[in-house]
Amino acid sequence: MRLVIAHLYPAEMNIYGDTGNVIALSRRLEWRGIDAVVERIAVGDPYDFTAADVVVAGGGEDRAQLAVAADLQRRAGDIREAVAAGTVFLTICGTYQLFGHRFVTHDGDEMPGIGVFDLETHGGDERMIGNIVLDTEWGPLVGFENHSGRTFLGEGQQPLGMVRKGYGNNERDFDEGAVAANAFGSYLHGALLPKNPAFADELLRRALVQRHGDDAVLGPLDDGVERAAADAAATRP
Amino acid sequence: MLRLQIAIAAGRLAGRASQLLGRGGSAVPGLVAERIDPRLIDRLVASIPRVVVVTGTNGKTTTTKLLVGMLESAGRRVVTNPTGSNLARGVATRLIEVARRGRVDTDIAVFEVDEAAVRALGPRLRPAVTVVTNLARDQLDRYGELDTTAAHVRSALEHAAIAVLNADDPMVAGLAGTAGADRFFGGSDPVRAQMPDDRTLYGDAGGPRPGPEPSVLVRAAEPAGEGQRAALTVDGEDLEVRLLLPGVYNAYNAAAAVAAATALGVEAAVAAGAAAGVVPAWGRGQTVEYRGRRVRLLLVKNPAGFNQAIRLLAGEEPGAQVMISINDHTADGRDVSWLWDARVEDLAGTGHRFVTSGTRALDMAVRLKYAGAAAEWAEPDPRTALDRFVDGVAAGGTATLVPTYTAMLDLLHLLQPDTHRREAWT
Repeated sequence: MRLVIAHLYPAEMNIYGDTGNVIALSRRLEWRGIDAVVERIAVGDPYDFTAADVVVAGGGEDRAQLAVAADLQRRAGDIREAVAAGTVFLTICGTYQLFGHRFVTHDGDEMPGIGVFDLETHGGDERMIGNIVLDTEWGPLVGFENHSGRTFLGEGQQPLGMVRKGYGNNERDFDEGAVAANAFGSYLHGALLPKNPAFADELLRRALVQRHGDDAVLGPLDDGVERAAADAAATRP
Repeated sequence: MLRLQIAIAAGRLAGRASQLLGRGGSAVPGLVAERIDPRLIDRLVASIPRVVVVTGTNGKTTTTKLLVGMLESAGRRVVTNPTGSNLARGVATRLIEVARRGRVDTDIAVFEVDEAAVRALGPRLRPAVTVVTNLARDQLDRYGELDTTAAHVRSALEHAAIAVLNADDPMVAGLAGTAGADRFFGGSDPVRAQMPDDRTLYGDAGGPRPGPEPSVLVRAAEPAGEGQRAALTVDGEDLEVRLLLPGVYNAYNAAAAVAAATALGVEAAVAAGAAAGVVPAWGRGQTVEYRGRRVRLLLVKNPAGFNQAIRLLAGEEPGAQVMISINDHTADGRDVSWLWDARVEDLAGTGHRFVTSGTRALDMAVRLKYAGAAAEWAEPDPRTALDRFVDGVAAGGTATLVPTYTAMLDLLHLLQPDTHRREAWT
């Protein structure tokens, strides 16, 4: 058995250790005897998203986000089709924002998104920085947020979780991230998946079922260190 | 002038009071004096014939130390700021200490300046030479984006007569043409391949040298004892440099220092010879005796620096004992996501033994587990961890500590309890 992990914009959108998400997914497959194939997709690279089982993308600097926004527009139809077909996506920070309808800068300029999630983001003056803890369907998630954009979910858009500590999508609503079919968006760095193994396995389980059917199972792993690290991180100021 | 004299006196008094209170703190005198006379630095610097600024992400402290050694070997009287005290207040504190009647009597001043503070300090120091060691992503919760840091450094270079630039670092080479004149240092292709810049770190393949052919070139660097032997070519002249500092990155620091020293009129052979006498700065490749063991410290602050330490460790004999200590205080960067950007995978299969400590000991243990180099244990408390770690090292043996900034201060305090905390993050 094997799964294909597509790392979208590994060079452009990866300044906060979000590569850790790709590492976590790959190792957790390999430890169970499942081959993990990582494919790197740069701006401009042709890519057929039906080949991917999990698509992972991270956060980047403003300049990189602009380059990526234009590239995403060209892939918008393909990505929306893949989401509709049940491909698993995990988008963090800058790419999470671009998976919404639009990013409106402080000066009123608009950077269009691809509308996978029903949300929009507004540039702010003050960055929201710090350790963050969420409550989600898959248990608590622990990470670190660092963003100036305020994201507002549309009516009926499901968040990833509710904020127990930290800011989340914005400082008003106490929600964090977004979920649509098997596509997930979040502001959490850390990286997110290594310290939240139950959530990492939820992504893998969905991808396995999509590719190999309902009887595909993920065996258990010893996640003692990961859980201890998450507990410790949750207590940091 | 009276205001300046009062500011200096008040600063000194505040410094003495702070020491009596056992606070150490190299920032206090500068902080107090600058409040009384905001132009204190400008006024005191005006009496110094030449000023050198050393900035960049990694290697500032070591490059400063090397350059000071080279200038002193050439008979120059040098004033420099204490290790790590690299904001305006650190510079002001040092100037106050050495000022006599409102003047500083020296031939030259060499200041290490934080890459975010350099924008404001650049025009005030009007340096003859500004050295930019490298620019890499560093503590994004504190410094912000790399483009912003590069813009700070560019703005500072407009006030420098000569820029000494890393020809192999695309962000630094891109600053060419900003100062009055440029002088480049760099490595031969095999040396350069061992110093991945920020872009290669984040997935772009290494290509041709981004800057011009360097005037000071590291042709080769080989480990020797606890340090190394580096072959340099300085303006066409081949020289050998012995360093007490390990790692190819320190050969680059030596090249940067030689490029600056020779730009200031020091003979290349004198500069190269002086490098041999420079001992590592606090925690930067420094080795200390502790309970009958030799304990080496390799400070890491960001993924690029961590990769340099990893490369050094990966090249050593199997069986090295390594404790990685990761703290998440403000001076370390509160976000430890950067651990995932470092090539920790290169430690797998080295045959080394790893343990972790610090406030984020468990985060580092997770990182090592996913890299295939699992830690034997993780203990957040520095004292408990250090004792347990050293107990596992044979008497007479060698061990390596890889700490972040405040973890290094914690460990040095335990390793050398009698030594005053000279260095304080300011």
